[in-house]
Amino acid sequence: MNKSIIDCHKVETSYTKNLKRPILNGINCEIKRGEFVALLGLNGAGKSTLLRSMVGLVPLQKGAIRINGTLLDSRSLPGIRRQVGMLFQGGGLINQLSAIENVMCGRFGSRTSWQTLFGFPKKDRRHALELLEQFGLREKAYQKTSQLSGGQQQRVAIARALIQSPEILLADEPITGLDVLACQQVMETLSELHSELGMTIVTVLHDLGIAAEYAQRAIVLDEGRIVYDGAASEVQAYFNINNK
Amino acid sequence: MKKNVFHISKRFPWLIRLLVLCLIISTYIWALQGLQTDFSLFKWSYVTDFLSRFFPPDFSVLDIAIQRLIETIQMSIWGTTIGAILSLPIAILSARNIAPAWLQVLANFLQNAVRSVPSIILGLIFVAATGLGASAGTLALGIYTIGYLGKFYQEGIEAVNPRSLESLRVAGASKLQIFQYGILPQTLPLGLGYTLYMFEYNIRAASVLGLVGAGGIGFELKSYIDAFEYNKALTMLLVLLFVVTVIDAISNELRHRLESK
Repeated sequence: MNKSIIDCHKVETSYTKNLKRPILNGINCEIKRGEFVALLGLNGAGKSTLLRSMVGLVPLQKGAIRINGTLLDSRSLPGIRRQVGMLFQGGGLINQLSAIENVMCGRFGSRTSWQTLFGFPKKDRRHALELLEQFGLREKAYQKTSQLSGGQQQRVAIARALIQSPEILLADEPITGLDVLACQQVMETLSELHSELGMTIVTVLHDLGIAAEYAQRAIVLDEGRIVYDGAASEVQAYFNINNK
Repeated sequence: MKKNVFHISKRFPWLIRLLVLCLIISTYIWALQGLQTDFSLFKWSYVTDFLSRFFPPDFSVLDIAIQRLIETIQMSIWGTTIGAILSLPIAILSARNIAPAWLQVLANFLQNAVRSVPSIILGLIFVAATGLGASAGTLALGIYTIGYLGKFYQEGIEAVNPRSLESLRVAGASKLQIFQYGILPQTLPLGLGYTLYMFEYNIRAASVLGLVGAGGIGFELKSYIDAFEYNKALTMLLVLLFVVTVIDAISNELRHRLESK
């Protein structure tokens, strides 16, 4: 529990003309194995960019990120991506593919282009079906994801992230655009992954109440810097004081 | 200076609209001047006299019309297919979200170069290369198609949801896997729709290619018009109209089904 799994040291991205500053402007934070962390802040604060930089989607100008002790760079990236699952806002699924095909896409890190040229191995298909069953989507396995509801799509995206058995799950606004029930289902799923499998979860959220209910720790960003890093249960009080 | 313009446009938004309107009107006036049109020369009676010579249609050439039309459709099938196959790699190389900038410039230049050559010139080139007949027309259609399908496919690829491609990249997908499982499924319905549209368009284009002896119904059409056999020419046109209408209806339905997927 105490070992650091994500370590960001003086992380800075390139200068952005619109904001007149780098999106991330010297981020220092350490996330421990098994933590459930909520990233909060206003639009443009740098939450999603921080998350995306942890999987090499945003190049760093300065500083370093270590995942499980390994420095993130172009050489270590494929290995790091096998340890990290990511949920995108809206799911990031291929709408024209079926739910099971989307889930199997999570296996790309372990399959060569040749192995997937004519479809995925049976082993991957079985594994994907098991995961969809776990999420109550066995019946929808062969339906196109465009025909699924927002909540179901997000659960398919979670199954896709889990098929590679990651140690860390990063979620970029996983409940944005979902109805109350679907929000609850997605957050419960993340909570179970954290409590039952001990998975490290870092999620971008907009709702302080939800952050306080599910996360242990909250990191609040403002203009590319961390302005609060502490218990998620006290984040509401932080905002109340700062808004006065 | 920039600040002043911004300030004026904010204070007097109607002034900007008026300027844009004046600019559009002057462009049209300039274009019309270039045409040197003399409306006094236009006489309806000449038009009606010419059109009346087409009636009634002479159906004695119906079998020839059908034969030529089948040849036109065959030319279009092969021309569109050759063009579609060649367009795909060019579209990939010119797409902003996939290819490096220098390749985009080269691939876009190639597309523009092909698009700037009229189909009739391509027809002449291939007639010189393969002789008179449908094969010259088919090759001309194939190359002509690249200029358009290349652009359509490129736009389809650029419209792919970037988040979905990022999610595959994070999952560790190779470039080929991203193309096969990310780009292709998202662009296929739209791409097939465009290809059907091009097939339909090529049937009309094939008729024009006949004018330079590159096969198809156009060759027969031109021969009848040159020989003042307008009634036979009308039969050709009616058969062409019928087929184009049927193909348009079928491809509209297919496109609608593909795009709604």
